[in-house]
Amino acid sequence: MDLVLVQIFNGIQYGFLIFLAASGLTLVFGILGVINLAHGSFYMLGAYLALTLTQLTGDVFLAVAIGIPLAVAFGAAIEWAFVRHLYARDHLQQVLLTFALILIFNEVQRIGWGSYPHGVPAPSYLSGSVRLADGLTYPVYRLALTAICAALAVAMFLVIQKTRIGRLIRAGESNREMTELLGFDATRLYRLVFAAGTALAALAGMLAAPVESVYPGIGERVLIISFVVVVIGGIGSIRGAFLGAIAIGIADALGKVFLPNLAGVVVYALMASVLVVRPGGLFGRAVR
Amino acid sequence: MIRLPSFPVLVLLAALAIVCAALPWMAGPYLVKFVTRVLATAIFVMSLDLLIGVTGLVSFGHAAWFGLGAYAVWFVTPAYEAADLPKALGAAVALAGLGAAVVGAFAVRTRGFYFIMVTLAASQMIFALFHDTRIAGGSDGASIDVKPALEIAGRTVLDFQSRNTLLWTALGLTVVTLVGLLVLTRSRFGRILQGLKANETRMNALGFDGARYKWASFVISGMVAGLGGAIYASIDGFVPPEILGWRESGLAIMMVVLGGVGTLWGSIVGALIYALAEEGLKSAAIVGSAVSDHWPIAMGVFLIAAVLGAPKGLGGLMPVRAARPWAAPDGGTAEERSSGGGPKLEVSGLSRRFGGLTAVDGVTVTFEPNRIHAVIGPNGAGKTTFTNLITGALEVSGGTIKLSGADITGYSAHAKARQGIGRSFQRTNVLPAFTVAENCAIAAQARGLAGASRADEAAAVARALAALGLVDRADRVVSTLSHGEQRQLEIAMLIASGAKLLMLDEPLAGTGPEETQRVTALLKELARDHTILIIEHDMDAIFACADTITVLVNGRLIAHGSADEIRRDAKVREAYLGRFAGVEEEAA
Repeated sequence: MDLVLVQIFNGIQYGFLIFLAASGLTLVFGILGVINLAHGSFYMLGAYLALTLTQLTGDVFLAVAIGIPLAVAFGAAIEWAFVRHLYARDHLQQVLLTFALILIFNEVQRIGWGSYPHGVPAPSYLSGSVRLADGLTYPVYRLALTAICAALAVAMFLVIQKTRIGRLIRAGESNREMTELLGFDATRLYRLVFAAGTALAALAGMLAAPVESVYPGIGERVLIISFVVVVIGGIGSIRGAFLGAIAIGIADALGKVFLPNLAGVVVYALMASVLVVRPGGLFGRAVR
Repeated sequence: MIRLPSFPVLVLLAALAIVCAALPWMAGPYLVKFVTRVLATAIFVMSLDLLIGVTGLVSFGHAAWFGLGAYAVWFVTPAYEAADLPKALGAAVALAGLGAAVVGAFAVRTRGFYFIMVTLAASQMIFALFHDTRIAGGSDGASIDVKPALEIAGRTVLDFQSRNTLLWTALGLTVVTLVGLLVLTRSRFGRILQGLKANETRMNALGFDGARYKWASFVISGMVAGLGGAIYASIDGFVPPEILGWRESGLAIMMVVLGGVGTLWGSIVGALIYALAEEGLKSAAIVGSAVSDHWPIAMGVFLIAAVLGAPKGLGGLMPVRAARPWAAPDGGTAEERSSGGGPKLEVSGLSRRFGGLTAVDGVTVTFEPNRIHAVIGPNGAGKTTFTNLITGALEVSGGTIKLSGADITGYSAHAKARQGIGRSFQRTNVLPAFTVAENCAIAAQARGLAGASRADEAAAVARALAALGLVDRADRVVSTLSHGEQRQLEIAMLIASGAKLLMLDEPLAGTGPEETQRVTALLKELARDHTILIIEHDMDAIFACADTITVLVNGRLIAHGSADEIRRDAKVREAYLGRFAGVEEEAA
């Protein structure tokens, strides 16, 4: 049963990472009303930023500190150049434009970093493993990663529930048109939210880099799984994204143990069963 | 409504078809395979346009049905022998259709973004199934040793081993698919699908079970995609699992949009343009190695430019064939009235709670046939909720609803509409992209599936247009009508639908005094063979035309009676103090 326990730990840790990525996606969809297929590319961007910046600075956390402002700026630039043209367009065109962005980002990645997988070292002070029980050890970095993500989740929750900008985000999420009519500067709010979403995805990619190798298709896997999480949780719901991400993380990890051949099916089956019971996701508002 | 391709488009398509057919004499094997691949893709993309452009369902998992069709050919091909061609194509259509039938049953319950995600998830499940298990070669893909062939009486008639035969067959199937889908979308069935795309709420209120039609269109489009997949599998005799994946689905959406959503023929052009763009951008000889080495970037830029620059796709740039003008049917149908009177509506103990709020609270009232009944009350009195309960837009928390003595309490919105309940909405609710006549025709069809002929349908449309004075605007597209005209059209649709109980939510809102007079006169006329229930704020008009008035306050019925009785009612005066003509004088 040790393997199962380790996999549950892994599942929770994976779930937290996915939560970071999915929360950005759910914010962007809930507030901007844009389906952003390029969200996974931001995760990939984060992972490759971590690779390069860790090589330069020698520490993945320094890389994160430098990488986050870069990701915010990048997100704001993408919003300005492309995404803002999509607010008045239908889902179809949003899907297409962001799909085209994936093509470009993937090729840029190939030019910059090549097609081979890379590893990013965990910082020396967090390398090694701790003994959790007899015969059960667990890597320190993964534990630290889980703790960091948990802290971020709490911080995000506090920002959204307790601050003025958080209140505006909640307002935008529950009724976008009304929030605009009330006279808020939607342009700035949207740019801020998109940049924050980009940074969250990139942050997940950066933190995950030492755990999983950094490779070209990394963003697309995260994109699809984030969509599953968003749908399970209900579009726009951070709380739903959190529960969905943890559930998906554990289901995926256990699926790999018990149904190795069908591991890829398990998460989708979970999503399908949630939707059968609740067509709008766990915390979804009215289906649009 | 989706139109047939205009003449220039037909010329373009014919030219393309001729080039394809003559290709074996003009070009080498590489180009023949290339064009065959485009044709297989075109069949696939057209099937997706049936969903996106006709029914209004954006599927992000359509490649699953294309891929299942391709795998089906592998399933029925014996080792080192050719599969029977009809069997191979049949298996492809059947397997894809079966998959779509199962997934569609779940997917059509969701809308918009959720539909996109459910179809994506379903296709990823199927992809994982074929990629991670050894059902058919796993991640290595499945190889078909000998391609399907058709033998009749010992002679090989069609052999897919031959490149040219495959090309011509693919061309033939592409033409058949285009014609078939055009006929389908322009049939009465297709008209319902287009109605669902335009306004599903309205279609449900007219009596169409939207989920059933969406499911049918999902299955049909899956079957057509499977046919495309079977051709695709026969090109190289190799089926990689990636063919099922979301990238293929995304590319197909891209091709639909490139060619023009909802044109069907645009999908062929979209598939061709995309393939040519990819081929051109990959070729160093054409664009130079600086671009061709990094062709996905150029492709991405091209697509972004296409999305932002031509949102309607290439189809949107081509001339559109005008709608066939509406013609009144022969014979004096305008005078002829449907027989029978309106139904009696009995509501007893009707309640609806939203969490802690009771919006409608134990209302018991009987509405007699062939009268005009008004439901009034201050804002928040529960009038619209009351309407929604009777029409089935909301579920009832308690109480019963009887129509002509039959209990219809638990019926869904479309089932109630089938019982003869027609409604207009507070915010005008018609099919904007359709003409006035088409709107009425689709309403007439709502009762027609049970057996009304096209002649009955045409007569119902003529009657409805005449009753509302819309004959001269029959060919106008609804989105060009004024607000008042759209409200009249909504009533015309109810008449055309043959509804016997008309529930009108603020039919006079936003109409001028002259129009108000015309509408009230019409309502009196309609009451000869309809039962009419109006929710209205225009008190003068109500007191002038309603036979009975029902007053709701805070979800409770406080009075029901004739206009005079209501004017004298103390409780009503208390609730409405000063709002009625004459109340001030009496108080003074």
